[in-house]
Amino acid sequence: MPIVEKSLVTVDRTEHLEIEGIDVSGDWNSFLRSRVQVDLDVRVLDWVRSQPQGDTISRCWQCGTCTAGCCLHTDYGLTDFNPRYFIYLAQVGYEEELRKYSSTIWRCVSCNKCVERCPKGVKVEEVVHTIGSYLEATGGAPESPADRFDRAYTENLLRRGILDEADLFRTYERGEGRTMPAREMLRMGLTLLRSGRLRTGPLAHRTRGWRRFGAVLRAKLEEDERRRRESAGAVARAGGGPR
Amino acid sequence: MNPILVLGAGPAGLSAAAETAALGAPTILVERESYLGGNPKRWHYSLLAPDLRPSDEVLGPLIAKVEGNPNVTLRRSTTVSRAERLERGYRVTLTTGAAQETQEVSAVVLATGFDHFDSHRKFEYGYGRYPDVLDFKELEGMIHDDKVLRPSDGKPPRRIAWILCVGSRDLQVGNPWCCRMGCAVSIKQAVEIRQKHPEIDAYVYYMDIRTYGLWEDLYWKSMQEYGVKFIRGRIGQVTLAEGGSRLLATGEDTILRRPTEVPFDMIVLASGMEPGTGTKEAAALFGVPVGPEGFLTPTLSDLNPVDSGLPGVFLAGAATGPKAIPDSVTEGMGAALRAYQYARR
Ligand SMILES: Cc1cc2nc3c(=O)[nH]c(=O)nc-3n(C[C@H](O)[C@H](O)[C@H](O)COP(=O)(O)OP(=O)(O)OC[C@H]3O[C@@H](n4cnc5c(N)ncnc54)[C@H](O)[C@@H]3O)c2cc1C
Ligand code: SF4
Ligand code: SF4
Ligand code: SF4
Repeated sequence: MPIVEKSLVTVDRTEHLEIEGIDVSGDWNSFLRSRVQVDLDVRVLDWVRSQPQGDTISRCWQCGTCTAGCCLHTDYGLTDFNPRYFIYLAQVGYEEELRKYSSTIWRCVSCNKCVERCPKGVKVEEVVHTIGSYLEATGGAPESPADRFDRAYTENLLRRGILDEADLFRTYERGEGRTMPAREMLRMGLTLLRSGRLRTGPLAHRTRGWRRFGAVLRAKLEEDERRRRESAGAVARAGGGPR
Repeated sequence: MNPILVLGAGPAGLSAAAETAALGAPTILVERESYLGGNPKRWHYSLLAPDLRPSDEVLGPLIAKVEGNPNVTLRRSTTVSRAERLERGYRVTLTTGAAQETQEVSAVVLATGFDHFDSHRKFEYGYGRYPDVLDFKELEGMIHDDKVLRPSDGKPPRRIAWILCVGSRDLQVGNPWCCRMGCAVSIKQAVEIRQKHPEIDAYVYYMDIRTYGLWEDLYWKSMQEYGVKFIRGRIGQVTLAEGGSRLLATGEDTILRRPTEVPFDMIVLASGMEPGTGTKEAAALFGVPVGPEGFLTPTLSDLNPVDSGLPGVFLAGAATGPKAIPDSVTEGMGAALRAYQYARR
């Protein structure tokens, strides 16, 4: 029977190998990766609980009310986004499994329906973000296009305090190694420019007093980021982890 | 000896009055309703867990022990409106309609019981809005009369869901405690329905099944012998489906790890137990301490489970917390003994 779940298969591929004149290249040592959970890691829970936004995580009894109402999970069919499951993985310490959701976990739109409904008073939205912060700060998460877009967006916004869409589009697409056919771009860009809906480059909108305000905001963001990394790093270093 | 006053004629109060009378003490049993038997009688409970005996078979003998008992003065449709502490015992004012009467009593047993959680407060389940969403106390009566039909159109349901812990273990409504009965009673209802109507499918949405102690047997049987099915997840909301002819239960099946939106013909809410209004009144009247949950608190729940800490006031039954009938009856006996000892001193 073919194995459908390719991610479970590990293969040693040998491209060119000849032994005593015989070509033996091909797939060697095909193994099924074990699905047995062999450890429990307390670091995630310790860290999430130590954060002011994360301490309600321990109240969760896994009822699924949050997930049942979460618009991402139900309305947008993003069944990989499951706040109840993220909390479970963090509570029990299935860190490896949790890491699979390092980029998905950020999709939360902060509608707070989950918080409104949770029978145990878990601040689900904040807890989910805190778990995300842990994953981000402790690294190892492959950066997704969504992460890169977030970064390009923030950078763009911080420059003038208002979005320069055309520039964001250019920078992001270039970063992804994509270009749009020039003619297509010109047509769309010109229409938008003519209608006055798009202002870019030197014509772009500006925010009054942005130089000072932007500097404060940037400093604050950098400070937050540094703090988060420090405390996550401290947890990661402090041992704990799998016992 | 002045009579012993027992307040409330549910399982606990009936049991207490029967025992004080058996000890030879004159007893006044005061019940604010016109009937005896408390909540089981009020809502016409059908079979009682765990032995699945008809509730009349359980309550009947208890009621018979006090009715016509020469040592028991029965005061139906009556409440206590004033209580004054004396050197020994209390002077109480009994109010029946407009009539009032003052009476000295040597000791008091408070067996004022619980009220059901008002399911309207979990508005997302549509109770009161959709006729086919029922509170499980209402289903008790339907099962008792063998008329399990959809209130909306009078048709028999094909598929019923129970939602557990409604108004229990829920900080949104301020009730963090477990009702103790909801699991067992819901499962019992599903068994009763499947016994008589195997064509009706029964599903229970649960987070934990708390059929504690020997009651676990009921849970096992429900699956093995009656094919009741259990889905792990808490329903988030109930809406209408299929042009309004059925109900849609939206939740997460936490084992499947996917959202579920399944249509049902009837949805039954296992509403929890709250301290009864009568219990709150009695607490204020006699000055009995109440815990953060609003139930009366015994001085030590392990060693003095029926002592209020006030001289001559004893506690029994669901007034001190969610409780089953066997425990309520036992506490009634304990409180009777303690009240008798106090009155004799
Ligand atoms: C839906 C449901 C099904 C249940 N089924 C089962 C079952 O199958 N098996 C089982 O063991 N248990 C069952 N129970 C639990 C059972 O109902 C309780 O254990 C029992 O009723 C508690 O008895 P009680 O006498 O303490 O209180 P109650 O039954 O609440 O009786 C209290 C009585 O006191 C009266 N009263 C209150 N205040 C005053 C006042 N101030 N003055 C005068 N009178 C007053 C009330 O009118 C009432 O008659 C069920 C509970 C629920 C919610
Ligand atoms: S706040 Fe986030 S996790 Fe909560 S329901 Fe909204 S999208 Fe889902
Ligand atoms: S609703 Fe609250 S208790 Fe239930 S799974 Fe979500 S966070 Fe946990
Ligand atoms: S007894 Fe069952 S239904 Fe009632 S609160 Fe406890 S777990 Fe929920």
